[in-house]
Amino acid sequence: MILLADFDRESMLDMFIYEMSQLLEQLEQNVIQGESGFSMEAINEIFRIMHTIKGSAAMMMFTNISTVSHSMEDLFYYLREQNPTGVDYGRLTDFVLEGMDFVKVELGKIESGVPADGDGTEIINTMKGFLAELKGGGKAPAPAPAPAAAPAPAKPAKAAKKKQAPPPPPADNGVRYEGKIWFSEGCEMENVRSYTFIHNLEDKVTDIWHDPENVIDETASEVIKKNGFKFKFTSKLPYEDLCKAITSTIYLKSMELKIEGGAEVQEDGVKKTYKAHVTFEEGSEMENVRAYNMIHSLENKVEIIKYIPEDVLDEEYVEVIRKSGFILVVATDMKYESLYNLLQEPVYLKTLKLEEITDPDEVTLPKEDDSMVQEEEKLEVPPVQEEQLAVIAPVKAPAPAVPEADAAKKPATQHMISVNVSKLDLLLNLMGELVIAEAMVTQNPELDGLELESFVKEARQLHKIINDIQDTVMSMRMVPLQSTFIKMHRIVRDMCRQLNKEVDLILIGEDTEVDKNIIEHISDPLMHIIRNSVDHGIEMPSVRREHGKPEKGKVILEAKNTGGDVLIIIRDDGEGLNKARIMQKAKSNGLLRKDESEYTDKEIHQFIFLPGFSTNDKVTSFSGRGVGMDVVSTNLEIVGGSVLVDSTPGEGSVFTMKIPLTLAIIEGMTIKMGGAKYTIPIISMVKSFKATKSELFHDPSGNEMVTERGEVYNVVRLYEFFGCQSEITNIEDGIMIMLENGDQKVCLFVDELIGEQQVVVKSMPKYIKKIRGISGCTLLGNGDISLIIDVGGFFDK
Amino acid sequence: MAAESEHVTQNQSIEEITKDQYLTFIIDDEEYAIGIAYIQEIVNNLSITVVPQTPDYVKGIVSLRGDIIPAIDVRCRFHKPEKEFDEQTCIVFVEYQGYQLGLIVDKVKEVMFIEEDFIAPPPSAKLSYYNQFVKSIGQVGDEIRLLLDLDKFLLQD
Repeated sequence: MILLADFDRESMLDMFIYEMSQLLEQLEQNVIQGESGFSMEAINEIFRIMHTIKGSAAMMMFTNISTVSHSMEDLFYYLREQNPTGVDYGRLTDFVLEGMDFVKVELGKIESGVPADGDGTEIINTMKGFLAELKGGGKAPAPAPAPAAAPAPAKPAKAAKKKQAPPPPPADNGVRYEGKIWFSEGCEMENVRSYTFIHNLEDKVTDIWHDPENVIDETASEVIKKNGFKFKFTSKLPYEDLCKAITSTIYLKSMELKIEGGAEVQEDGVKKTYKAHVTFEEGSEMENVRAYNMIHSLENKVEIIKYIPEDVLDEEYVEVIRKSGFILVVATDMKYESLYNLLQEPVYLKTLKLEEITDPDEVTLPKEDDSMVQEEEKLEVPPVQEEQLAVIAPVKAPAPAVPEADAAKKPATQHMISVNVSKLDLLLNLMGELVIAEAMVTQNPELDGLELESFVKEARQLHKIINDIQDTVMSMRMVPLQSTFIKMHRIVRDMCRQLNKEVDLILIGEDTEVDKNIIEHISDPLMHIIRNSVDHGIEMPSVRREHGKPEKGKVILEAKNTGGDVLIIIRDDGEGLNKARIMQKAKSNGLLRKDESEYTDKEIHQFIFLPGFSTNDKVTSFSGRGVGMDVVSTNLEIVGGSVLVDSTPGEGSVFTMKIPLTLAIIEGMTIKMGGAKYTIPIISMVKSFKATKSELFHDPSGNEMVTERGEVYNVVRLYEFFGCQSEITNIEDGIMIMLENGDQKVCLFVDELIGEQQVVVKSMPKYIKKIRGISGCTLLGNGDISLIIDVGGFFDK
Repeated sequence: MAAESEHVTQNQSIEEITKDQYLTFIIDDEEYAIGIAYIQEIVNNLSITVVPQTPDYVKGIVSLRGDIIPAIDVRCRFHKPEKEFDEQTCIVFVEYQGYQLGLIVDKVKEVMFIEEDFIAPPPSAKLSYYNQFVKSIGQVGDEIRLLLDLDKFLLQD
């Protein structure tokens, strides 16, 4: 830990944990997909991930993680190299998953600040045993050499690295290279970077030797800073590929690589002279000033040998530059492409031609010289497509490989950044404030009754912009359900193996996006429903055969967007819910509120979501305790969602989870009741109407009802429900709002409607206990507080 | 849990700085005092939004620059008859144990020093339920200030 003491270990740990969990997720997915037999790509991918996990763990000095992943890597190394037949992939998957679980547990420890002290030896030993078994049993007709030799090539490399042994004689099948790299000044931790660098090369090259030998030692940093990091290795890869691999190192300032003892192949650290020919966009004006700025901005970065025209600030050259461009000769030790990027920066740049030259004096000729003009024409005439910049590669060979690789890499690396969620939360809060502030300005009472034509117009524009920003902010928080869905593969797989069932999990619409906050709340419910489906729904293969169904059961997990909600539908083709059993259980638990025969199928099914309700007599490791389904409904309630279940005996059941897209900003209808204002989510509103006394009646127990278009609905008077005073009690003076929750409807009686408005949901202060019928509050445009009605509260039993 | 204990220690250090300083306010004829470390802000004239189904002493919620804070009527909490709000009625915002609360009082009087030596425990005989909210009694000259026990006053039902 001495090494790590000097810098902010916390942030590195965060990054480490984040990366590791992503890798593990990816790995899990790959492993489970490959359970029935791995494709070559899958093996390579898994091998690569394992390798990264091992490397990062070793770098962070979590030896137990790195050793466990190392042994898993060995397994896949064998698979990759030997491609043995007849491997028990099921067991292999078990081992890998076990190993991954170990890593996960350790990660959890690290995250909560507990030393990661898990002992992985047992796992390693089982894996070693399995590997030996594979090697022994794998007498497959593979034309491979003796299997035992297989993992060998990788090991010498590692051994060499670990023991810092002097270079063994070069292997006969590879070229021995030597080279040196320098890191950018101020990048810090040169030793760790060198370590990572070597580590990244490990799978490409062998027999690595490096100086300083012990990079983990802190003093190595200084040496590397001063002398560069020297290394030698043997590789079969072509020179360009090696260059590419080396230049991908971050904070790399320059590198050298040559065949050992041989002539230098390329040297980037040495100054070269380049000629840049620049033209500006037509109509950009002040070309001379732009040229001057360009020179000026480069001054600190490169050595400027000369530029033509020389006196750029003289106005008479404006025309010259406009017509024939501007030539800049610089000397720099930068790589071609970094210089190119640097030169590309100025605005209004139209073309840039960068060439490496040997003799700067050759370039002199500016003044409408023929060659210049010709060149100019060459630039204009050939299809310099649209406004693309023309690149002319330097003459020396190895360079082109690098820019190409860069170009190919760019889209992946630059278009995604990871952002701390707390920053997004802050942004969202500020967004909320902005929405309120906008309403405060545009609906300011002081504006009442004024004729404000242009104000209203501008305000509308402002509103539009704010709406757009809001959409963007919200969209930034949206995460696809994919990762949540993919986790289910593992659950289904584990259960199948334990229960001896065969189930296919099919994912549909996993790219549907949901707010980050909500996703956290649905992962548990989803898991419980899936477990329920596999455990209770899908029958044993033998039973399925008897019933004439395919032996392999099917669970379909589907997500889709319906306006303001996302539906997650879990469908299985199992035996369906057993109504009689549920009824019986409900009766014995004393849950029935009306006559047994009066219950509809839906109501019966809904019983399974009550706490402690399980029709399973046996408690298995998966279910039977009656907590699962209860978690589903409570968890979904937190985010304002709901769950419905439907089932056809013998054909399967369908669970539908309805969750809101987002929690933070909703469309609300503001209403008035007894001097206070309330906001009803528009999504829950069906319609509003005036009721007459004749449409109103009471049932014997005093429940008020209203008929509307031939249907009868329960009436909830808001003032009665909340126990408040209201002046409007006559049904004809107020207004009815029909609300829906799931497929139930109710009519809410309030004083009056005020208007529709976007509101930012704020939670109620925690001092106030949960109030039935209220889900939160919001600030209205005039600074008043309005309570947000929780429509679900009116439907409780 | 960690966040809460951190909070307490933070409060303690503030408490040390502002030790012996109290904000006093008046309900009927009595003067009550709260350690100034807990006081965040005093505002008069804020509109209170009634929240249904809350204890009677929770008058509702107010918005203090975008924060939603419950407002507690101190009179009501003491079971004293309600009084119309007038221009001297204030909301004293306090933060205690992570809760942000507004206390509605008849009138805020002053910030004053009460030295520890002049603070005495209340009479041991609890004659009524409501004097349990008084933690101790401070003497300033020949006047008396009642020091509130915020734990009981704010957090007990």
